[in-house]
Amino acid sequence: MVVLSQPERPPASNDSALGWLRKNFFRSWSNALFTLAFGGFVVWALLSVVDWMLLDAVWRVANRDRCGHDAGACWAVIEDRWRLIFFGLYPYEEQWRSSLACLAITLTIVVSCVPAFWSARRLPVLWLAGLGIFFVLMHGGVAGLPVVTTEQWGGLSLTLFIFASVFLLGMPLAVLFALARRSSLPVIAMVTGGFIDIVRSLPLLTILFAAAVVIPILVPDWLQGSKLARVIVAFAVFFAAYQAEIIRAGLQSLSTGQEEAAQALGMPYWSVVVDILLPQAFRNTLPSTINQAVITFKETSIVTVIGFFEVMASGKAVIGTDEWGAQFIEIYVFLALVYFAFVFGLSRYGAWLERRMRVGHG
Amino acid sequence: MTSKIVTLAAGVALAVSAALPATAQAGDTLSAIQERGSLLCTGHNGSYLGFAEVDDQGKWQGFDIEFCRALATAILGSPDAVQIVPISWAQRFPAIQSGDIDVIIKVTGWTQSRDTELGLQFSLPYFIGPFYVMAQSELGAESIADLEGGVFCANAGTTVERVLADYLESNGIEYQPLSFESGEELRAALYAGRCDALAGFGPFLAATRVNAPDPDSLTIIGEVIQLEPEGIVVREGDDALLDVVNWMVSALLLAEQEGITQANVDEFRASPPSPTIERLLGVSPGVGERLGLSDDWAYNVISAVGNYGEIYDRTVGEGSRYKLPRGLNNLWNNGGLLYPLVLD
Repeated sequence: MVVLSQPERPPASNDSALGWLRKNFFRSWSNALFTLAFGGFVVWALLSVVDWMLLDAVWRVANRDRCGHDAGACWAVIEDRWRLIFFGLYPYEEQWRSSLACLAITLTIVVSCVPAFWSARRLPVLWLAGLGIFFVLMHGGVAGLPVVTTEQWGGLSLTLFIFASVFLLGMPLAVLFALARRSSLPVIAMVTGGFIDIVRSLPLLTILFAAAVVIPILVPDWLQGSKLARVIVAFAVFFAAYQAEIIRAGLQSLSTGQEEAAQALGMPYWSVVVDILLPQAFRNTLPSTINQAVITFKETSIVTVIGFFEVMASGKAVIGTDEWGAQFIEIYVFLALVYFAFVFGLSRYGAWLERRMRVGHG
Repeated sequence: MTSKIVTLAAGVALAVSAALPATAQAGDTLSAIQERGSLLCTGHNGSYLGFAEVDDQGKWQGFDIEFCRALATAILGSPDAVQIVPISWAQRFPAIQSGDIDVIIKVTGWTQSRDTELGLQFSLPYFIGPFYVMAQSELGAESIADLEGGVFCANAGTTVERVLADYLESNGIEYQPLSFESGEELRAALYAGRCDALAGFGPFLAATRVNAPDPDSLTIIGEVIQLEPEGIVVREGDDALLDVVNWMVSALLLAEQEGITQANVDEFRASPPSPTIERLLGVSPGVGERLGLSDDWAYNVISAVGNYGEIYDRTVGEGSRYKLPRGLNNLWNNGGLLYPLVLD
């Protein structure tokens, strides 16, 4: 065995903590000044946030009276109105269904993140089951559950439902778009390319508005579906247009040799795509895909302008009354925390996935 | 920015709907409602102070919502036969054209362009929306002229900005305008003393005042800078429905004028003091049949939601937290602008 010359390690830094601090934060007097000023500001800001959010906060109020104005945060508004934020206009007596449905869809998302479920059979079954349970619970009409129409859906469960359905519909669509754009038939490639570019050059808001409002005017009744269905389909097409470009980037990053080699072995087209190209394309574009998912999750709040009571609109319904009109900061902070919980979970999962995939990848 | 895109989108939607023959069959909306067994009425995407709010059980309440219920009672006999569809400001006109809703009851000002170009019809005003100015009490202003040179705040991109500028300029009052995109920012600025005065829609000012750290530090000045008569909107060609709407509003006003309330409507019905009241409450037949309704429709409405004054007090007036004075929304014999039609 040939021993190559061992690379020399960098000199070990035997700085103490104090030395490290000096080196990085107090190297020169201007540096020190900046550290002190900025550090002081950060500490002050953190303290006042903690003060407002926790120490001075009012947690309960008697008789649903309002909180004072000079105190800190008034979390009593959440205690009083959390059901509205989470369930929107869903009928009060039936809200247990909405929470179960919320749980079902969250579980579906979490379970489908587990690699053991990643097979062409399990994943669709899991998702159809998850969305099916969600829909039956929310909509009712079976097993003695009263029907609740989609117009009454709202709050967090609506946000999750829109996100999950957009992702579920949009992803296969995105793969199709990406493959069609790379098609060797120029007509298909050009038409798909043109379509993607047109969709991407329209604001999401106008697309959703058209789906909610214009389509009922243009399309006969039997083809319309519910407003929610139209909006989800439109949103999914929008998502697919962006995601298709991400997948296409992933496909282009692969050397053409792989595709040619597979074809030379006589593998059929779909087998080349499903077994060789797509897995690598997805792996290579994982950060952008997670990015797109995060953006989509947050963009679901746009549906509020076309009259859906998702979690953001429900929050606004809380502060749109005289009783809690002054507590808008509390509500926005709370909504931010709700979004944060989901989006942070999503991006942590993405990071874990990347680490996992890098195993055996160099 | 967002609001501009919404407006643009709404404009496109409207252009499309105007270019096409009305698809939602106008004219038979009334029978469509009766067949369906429920009225599709406007809510809000969120809560709109006093007019369409959501309580903590997710139920709608407010001035406009009460009118939705009243209309549902008139047509279908029950205040619960109504489906409140959450709808944004920009969406209301396209939504009525596409048939998502039957009627707009959403503090909608009766303007000429809406009446003509958009293919809509307005009912008699059911609410007279006044624009006021609210000033910091410590300035001691008694009229808007006393606020000369002050900072006037308003919501950006709304009609308020224009109305305020019109009024102040035509009266030769110098001022510094300051606009805010969101209502929350606007309030925060007012409470912090950045604004000497705030211009806006009456109910909004009242709510802003009640929520202030010290409500007494703000005073609504009595001068009305602009009036906006708010009507109930139906599609052009929906004459039958418009008739019902007009007579429903009129019945609520007549009930108030005659002192008929939710509590005493049964007594009035048992022994009506005048032929008009006999007709109103369906004791003598005819008043419902002409509209295609049952003869006791007005009785049902009053026993479900009360008369106009009761609705007002309960939702935005003295009985509510907003304490909005009746002002111009009083009956003609109380110094207001509202009056019932003649029931013959």
